[in-house]
Amino acid sequence: MPTRAQIAGVPLIQQEDFFCGPTSIAMVMQWAGADVSQQDVAALAFSPGAGGTYLADMIGSSRRLGQLAVEVSTFDQLLAEVAAGHPVIVFQNLGLGIAPLWHYGVVTGYDFARDEVYLNSGQLEQMVMPFAVFERTWRRGDFWGLVVLPPDQLPVSVAQTDILSAAAALERVEQFQAAATLYETGAEEWPDNWLWQFGLGNARYALGDLQGARQALRRARAVDPTIPEVRANLAFVEAELAG
Amino acid sequence: MGILTLSKKGVAVVLSAQLLFATQAVTMAQAEMLGTEAAIGKYTALANRDALLDEMQREDIRAEIVALGVDPLEAEARLAALSDAEIGTILTQMERDNAGADVIGTLFTIFVILLVTDLLCFTRFFNFTRCVR
Repeated sequence: MPTRAQIAGVPLIQQEDFFCGPTSIAMVMQWAGADVSQQDVAALAFSPGAGGTYLADMIGSSRRLGQLAVEVSTFDQLLAEVAAGHPVIVFQNLGLGIAPLWHYGVVTGYDFARDEVYLNSGQLEQMVMPFAVFERTWRRGDFWGLVVLPPDQLPVSVAQTDILSAAAALERVEQFQAAATLYETGAEEWPDNWLWQFGLGNARYALGDLQGARQALRRARAVDPTIPEVRANLAFVEAELAG
Repeated sequence: MGILTLSKKGVAVVLSAQLLFATQAVTMAQAEMLGTEAAIGKYTALANRDALLDEMQREDIRAEIVALGVDPLEAEARLAALSDAEIGTILTQMERDNAGADVIGTLFTIFVILLVTDLLCFTRFFNFTRCVR
């Protein structure tokens, strides 16, 4: 683990009232090059009745915007992601015990020697916190963290299955192009798991790319010839190509 | 006896042929693509269960289990009785407590032994544990 890390290029955006959640996602997506504002995200995530954004809507809105979104929940995961150059959205309680102040921010760096954690926190200045203070505020948010990445990049601290599930979730919200990209990325990283090619075949089929679907499903079959789901979908695609 | 065996074989051949046709018919009549999400759930659960069972059957782990006074077959039966979700939870906890490293090696051995002793209520390491003390 490097003793310090700093991710360049995460914009500082002044949040509108109660928009810390949408603003956090907008900052991370703009860092990755997307043209998305806090209002765009808020339309998909913010709950006016609650005056805030639920954790599940943070995940769901990121996916509806075509991003890979996976949760992290430990300090090790947080630091590993930041060290790998991936900003992490964290859920904190910045208030006192009797007056909780729930907040989302984006961790963009840390420095052990200076005892500092750096956050883009919905204000125009970077927020700097000693590790112990950050730990306390994050602990009160149950160490909830979210890695939001474009689908051609993979988180470094989560299990392969969680990334597969995140890709399938992109299919569920009909972000088939993003799903296909993520399946391709995963297939390169884990070539011996047929599920990546299977998902790629299904996503390409949903995009109307029958040739591409057949190619991916054939690769899935080559990785493991025994899987009935792969054979069934391959037969289905081949029948459609023939008919 | 010989005829009986033969006819049984004949029945088996016919049956398996029918089964093959039935399978093909199902495949032909498949109305839509089988989804990725269901496949991920099914095969991940299978792989998780197999991985834990394989570990339990390793000779060194089996020796440890026996040394603890636990019947390995009973331990396997208890593992088999856990739901997919519970096995998923156990593996997640193993990964977390392993500080992000791959769940392979010495530490994993210890986890598997803890799992066995948990299953038989000697220890309470994993969250799933149902033993009440």
